[in-house]
Amino acid sequence: MSTDAAPTPDEAEVATDLVRRIAAGNASAEGELAERYSRGLLYLLRRLAPELADDLRQETFRIVLERLRKRGLEDPAGLAAFLRGTARNLVIAERRKTARRRTDADDEELAQAAHPAPSQLSAVLLDEESETVRRLIGELPTDRDRQLLLRFYVAEEEKESICAELGLESLHFNRVLFRARQRFKEILARSKR
Amino acid sequence: MNHDYIEEQQVVERYVMGRLPPEEAARFEEHYLHCQECLDRLDVAESMERGFKRAAGQDAARAASIRQLALVAWLARLGRSRQLAALAMAVLVIAVLPGLLGLREVRERERELAETRSALEQERERSAQGSRTAGSEAEKLRKELEASRRDLAREQEARTKAAEQLADARRPQGNVPILFLNPERGGGEPTHRLRLPRAPGWVVLALEIDPPHQPSYRAVLQDAKGKELWRGEGLRLNEMETLSLSLPTTLLAPGDYILLVEGRRFTFRVLPSA
Repeated sequence: MSTDAAPTPDEAEVATDLVRRIAAGNASAEGELAERYSRGLLYLLRRLAPELADDLRQETFRIVLERLRKRGLEDPAGLAAFLRGTARNLVIAERRKTARRRTDADDEELAQAAHPAPSQLSAVLLDEESETVRRLIGELPTDRDRQLLLRFYVAEEEKESICAELGLESLHFNRVLFRARQRFKEILARSKR
Repeated sequence: MNHDYIEEQQVVERYVMGRLPPEEAARFEEHYLHCQECLDRLDVAESMERGFKRAAGQDAARAASIRQLALVAWLARLGRSRQLAALAMAVLVIAVLPGLLGLREVRERERELAETRSALEQERERSAQGSRTAGSEAEKLRKELEASRRDLAREQEARTKAAEQLADARRPQGNVPILFLNPERGGGEPTHRLRLPRAPGWVVLALEIDPPHQPSYRAVLQDAKGKELWRGEGLRLNEMETLSLSLPTTLLAPGDYILLVEGRRFTFRVLPSA
């Protein structure tokens, strides 16, 4: 199954070029690096430590750039892996620091962490997402496709077991998921206009 | 990691749901750090997952509400008397049900108590039976112990006696009777006589051995009836070409004796002590 991805330059080539130019003192290369990896790094950090993501992203770039300016990288093509590793290490260090500082549990804070109440805006967005899903499910041509999506997204069943129980080919499963995703994007985009 | 693989394996959705193995998740993270397309798909996948779960949760809550509303509606449709009857029934159920459950619980406990009592009774019976068996066992053991004690006393007595005899044997003894014997070459009564001393002790028999001599000799002591009383082997002659034998007097009761040494016959008579 093909995707709508535009051809992009090979990551290894781009990374090697960036590392080389930064080591040579090229300031614009530093800007390109931040631009290329900023969104991905923020996404990763939001998954690992949502409340610290913005700060840790800055810290990650600072550490990586200092390293590239001084010593470069042994494997310049592995720049993404180096960024990921640095970000993860920062998260771990931050958690250790927090754990050392805190010796008692704040019940109120724990209760909030366990049941975070969405803001009004978040609630509206969540409702919008659930409405989009309802519409999407309503548009599906067969009950089998509805079963497929519900079992995959809600029951979190594995693809193999869903295919086996519903008598589906792997290709059909992929196709249903792909179309559902595309349709979801369309409906959501239209509702936001 | 390329987009065909990501699509075929539902890597984006599985990553969002936390169902990717750690190694695969790491490879995907390195990929999406620079891949705007995958980041877009991650946003959509997260949104879809949230939407599905929220919709499912809302549907479940709605279904529960509908069931409650249906009950209220049914009650509302009833006439006043039936509403009161339903209310009375509900009150009855609320009031009586715990009591019934409690009664059931009490009966269950009573049954368990009876079982426990029965088991305890059986255990007591077994214990009493065990005590009786244990009593006879103890009696048997006591008898065995007494028998062992008697054996031990006899053993100690024998040891004491043996020790005394050993002490006597070790004690220097004077006037040890010595009987010189020559080989007998004809029949008849023994010509050599030995009178037993009053106290138990030792006697020495000195046997005169004619040539040709052997390196060692074997001697057998018999009583008059030919019963073997003692046997000695590897005996050697002394420098006077005699064979000396020390015998305890306890071995020799009054009577006639024969000593056979390699075909030679020595006879002697033991007389009671004076």
